[in-house]
Amino acid sequence: MKLPQGGKSELTFVGSLFLLGALVLWDTYTVELPAFNLTISPKAFPYGIATLLMSLSVILFINVLRGDTAVPEGHIEGEPIARSDYKAFGLVLASLLAFLLLIERAGFVIAASTTFFGITVAFGNKRHARAAIFGVLFITIVYLAFTQLLNVPLPAGIFKGLL
Amino acid sequence: MNNLESLLTGFAAALTLTNLGFGLIGTFLGTLVGVLPGIGPALAIALLLPITYTVSPASALIMFASIYYGAMYGGSTTSILLNTPGESGSVITALEGNKMARRGRAGAALATAAIGSFIAGTIATLILAFTAPSIADLAVKVGSADYVALMLVAFTTVSSLLGSSQIRGFIALSIGLALGLVGADLQSGLSRMTFGSDAALEGIATVAVIVSIFALGEALYLASRFKDSGWKVLPMKGKALMTREDLKRSWKPWIRGTFLGFPLGVVPAGGSEVPTFLSYSLEKKLSKHPEEFGEGAIEGVAGPEAANNANAAGALVPLLALGLPTSATAAVILVAFQTYQIQPGPTLFLTNGALIWTLIASLFIGNTLLLILNLPLVRVWVKLLQIPRPYLFAGIVTFALMGSYAVKTSIFDVQVAIAIGVLGFLFRRFGMPITPLILGLILGPNLELQFRRALQISGGDYGTLWASPLSKILYIVLFTVLFSPLIIRFIRKIRRVRGDTSVS
Repeated sequence: MKLPQGGKSELTFVGSLFLLGALVLWDTYTVELPAFNLTISPKAFPYGIATLLMSLSVILFINVLRGDTAVPEGHIEGEPIARSDYKAFGLVLASLLAFLLLIERAGFVIAASTTFFGITVAFGNKRHARAAIFGVLFITIVYLAFTQLLNVPLPAGIFKGLL
Repeated sequence: MNNLESLLTGFAAALTLTNLGFGLIGTFLGTLVGVLPGIGPALAIALLLPITYTVSPASALIMFASIYYGAMYGGSTTSILLNTPGESGSVITALEGNKMARRGRAGAALATAAIGSFIAGTIATLILAFTAPSIADLAVKVGSADYVALMLVAFTTVSSLLGSSQIRGFIALSIGLALGLVGADLQSGLSRMTFGSDAALEGIATVAVIVSIFALGEALYLASRFKDSGWKVLPMKGKALMTREDLKRSWKPWIRGTFLGFPLGVVPAGGSEVPTFLSYSLEKKLSKHPEEFGEGAIEGVAGPEAANNANAAGALVPLLALGLPTSATAAVILVAFQTYQIQPGPTLFLTNGALIWTLIASLFIGNTLLLILNLPLVRVWVKLLQIPRPYLFAGIVTFALMGSYAVKTSIFDVQVAIAIGVLGFLFRRFGMPITPLILGLILGPNLELQFRRALQISGGDYGTLWASPLSKILYIVLFTVLFSPLIIRFIRKIRRVRGDTSVS
């Protein structure tokens, strides 16, 4: 039997959802109950959710095998599904991870400017110098507005005492 | 004090300089996120949640409600001039609105959308002001078991009606419920799904999830799939004005749209997709010019736009009176209430009456501001669509990351946000709706709480769950919605069999 286009990756996705359900089941099974008695055990809901997720994934898995593959958002049904551009995807993801790594080490301005620049590249912007300068200016204004005007604390990082 | 007096007091409080200022910012931001495709009011409000630490409840809630209303106005502009809906409630508007714009009637389409939104919003807010308190009075008698039934109905309708398939909706819901489990259980202190992490004990920050599933998920999705498709804005000649003929053809659809949209916002019907679609079909049926539908019929813009705005006001009724959100945006507003330690529900009008009446009054003011912002200034909003997409998304993504970090100043929330962003990408790629996930995440813990409370009162007797008449009705509704696809398929089959026999 031949799967429709994109069917294989959808099966992988649905399979991992089943594993997520199994993870909930395993976590609930292994955790120890507190000594006191409750009418409804705190394990009841997790068990229910795990069962729901696992059984629904099995049904969807079968449905996909029978040809009911997903229509990606923004696509028209029946239209061929293009392959994802994994280079751009990777660039966006890398920009997100850069923020995670830099925010507490180098501070908000550096972390956010790096992310800003990375996203413009991922979305196909070619004028890199312009994007970098604009990004740093924009992020600095945002930083000052949030820390000074709205009193939202953001890490100054290496600019501590300067900004 | 009766409702009218309370409302007038609300107006007095809403008309202070600070509150007017926040309302104006909200209408401005709301129109902005409505105009820009790919970002909506739920994301905008979630991004602004950190301000709840420094701004008073009244000001913040006025701003959030104005964003909610404003996005409905802005969304229509994009639908008409771009043929890309600015947000989900404007999908139907694009059908006729864009055709009108192609035929050089953009001004009339924009005008009927804005004026229709204003009329619908005002009527619907009036109904809200006079029904929500009475519903809240009734709701005081709603017990824990009834809440369980209500939430289950909300889950079922939202999962069934949104997206392409029921099963994908329910899977999205169960993932949301699973995310809601993370952290220490409120009653027993049992740590669930934490895997030894101390940061996870507090649970997953709803803000981080909402912000990242919309903003980061959309960025990952668009970058990898629709990078090159730019925006082609149709030119708009003249002013956003209607002729006498346009007005004559518009006012009935406005009224009909309002009375279709409001009740469908009150009941959990999964947001604005259903009422706008129903309004469109109704206008097509009633129109004296059915041949114009598909070629740019003004009724097809007027009706759905009114339904869309009335729907937004209707969704505030269960939110305020029952604490039950029926759309993603309402769910985020619920989170905003909770950060102020205010629990929307039957007692809200008693405990925080002044706040709620100020909020309702500011909806009227916001609606008027929006009409002014959207009719003469529509060109300014159109200019916004010329921001290059790389810069636009770079801004949205950095704001989203900042928002998830700033809520609790925690690196754990940023990790969660990135993981959820990837999940948001997968949801879009595999056609799964996002709203059920958000409702599951926010209402899941509440459902468990009410479920346990009901059974504690009954001493473990499960019969209590369907003992009251209200819960019986709700379960009937639930099963009807749940099995409606099967029922419809069954009826079609019977018809086909009958058709076959009659032919043979």
